[in-house]
Amino acid sequence: MEEFSENESWKNWFHRHGPKLLLCARQWTASAADAEDVVQDAFIRFWRSQRGLPGEPMALLLTSVRRAALDIARRRLRRAAREAGAEARDSFAGPLLEPASGGDDRRLAIESALRRLPTDQREVLALKIWGELTFAQIAGQLGIPPNTAASRYRYALGNLRRELTAAADCHG
Amino acid sequence: MDDDFQELEAELSRLRPAPLGRDFAERVERGMARRRALPGWLWAAMPAAAAFALIVVYGTRGPAGPAAQASAPPAAPAFEPVGVRDILVASRDEGYVVLADGWPARRLLEAHVNTIMWRSPRSAALLQWSVPREEIRIVPVAFH
Repeated sequence: MEEFSENESWKNWFHRHGPKLLLCARQWTASAADAEDVVQDAFIRFWRSQRGLPGEPMALLLTSVRRAALDIARRRLRRAAREAGAEARDSFAGPLLEPASGGDDRRLAIESALRRLPTDQREVLALKIWGELTFAQIAGQLGIPPNTAASRYRYALGNLRRELTAAADCHG
Repeated sequence: MDDDFQELEAELSRLRPAPLGRDFAERVERGMARRRALPGWLWAAMPAAAAFALIVVYGTRGPAGPAAQASAPPAAPAFEPVGVRDILVASRDEGYVVLADGWPARRLLEAHVNTIMWRSPRSAALLQWSVPREEIRIVPVAFH
């Protein structure tokens, strides 16, 4: 993960790293719109007042994003308890990954397999691959031991490969 | 990581997250352009409070010219301080930060208004000086 350059504009940085933040945020929010809200809030706060702080920018931002996402989730739970019929989860409505220029079947298969992963495995996988965090940083984010983060990651990869192999077999 | 998974990891790493929607990018741009969300009157009150403070200080001390210095004996002060008040008017949790030693902490932004009051012993007139103040607090936290 690269550091900030003093002269870099927020637009450049956000253009490069915003999609990763959003993908990670979608692991913790009930909808894509919620994910955008938490990323927006966290990024603006970070750029204005936390950019000069020591530490990995992406790790700091993801901490902030996760906290905001959990706040929203708690508010939604309270509201759902009051109202009849909770909102349907549409966290994975819309594409998670950029469409490939050539054949897109493999990307769709991977997205589909990702959606079926258990949440605790999927969030570790997203933080590792697209958040570019270490297991120690992931452990800090999630409040789990680093070994647990590593084993969830391995389970996620194993399940993903199994899903992809089964899908490939189905399509002959 | 297991050699078995290296190929899959590499494939996943090559996939890029979906690009940001145009609406979202515009929303962030608008958010970045907005002024910090503290009550507007606090910022507007700053110059007025400073000017008022000058008037109060000048008024209580009086002119320091030779005529004033020559007048004896010294008179009782026109106003005496009688109270100080600190009111929290807005508070915002700015999320987690990481301290230099690696510990997490929460950054809290608070807007206060400090008011100092003087009273004239002769006329019982009350003078108040209010000035806005912004305070940033870093509160260490521990996760259990």
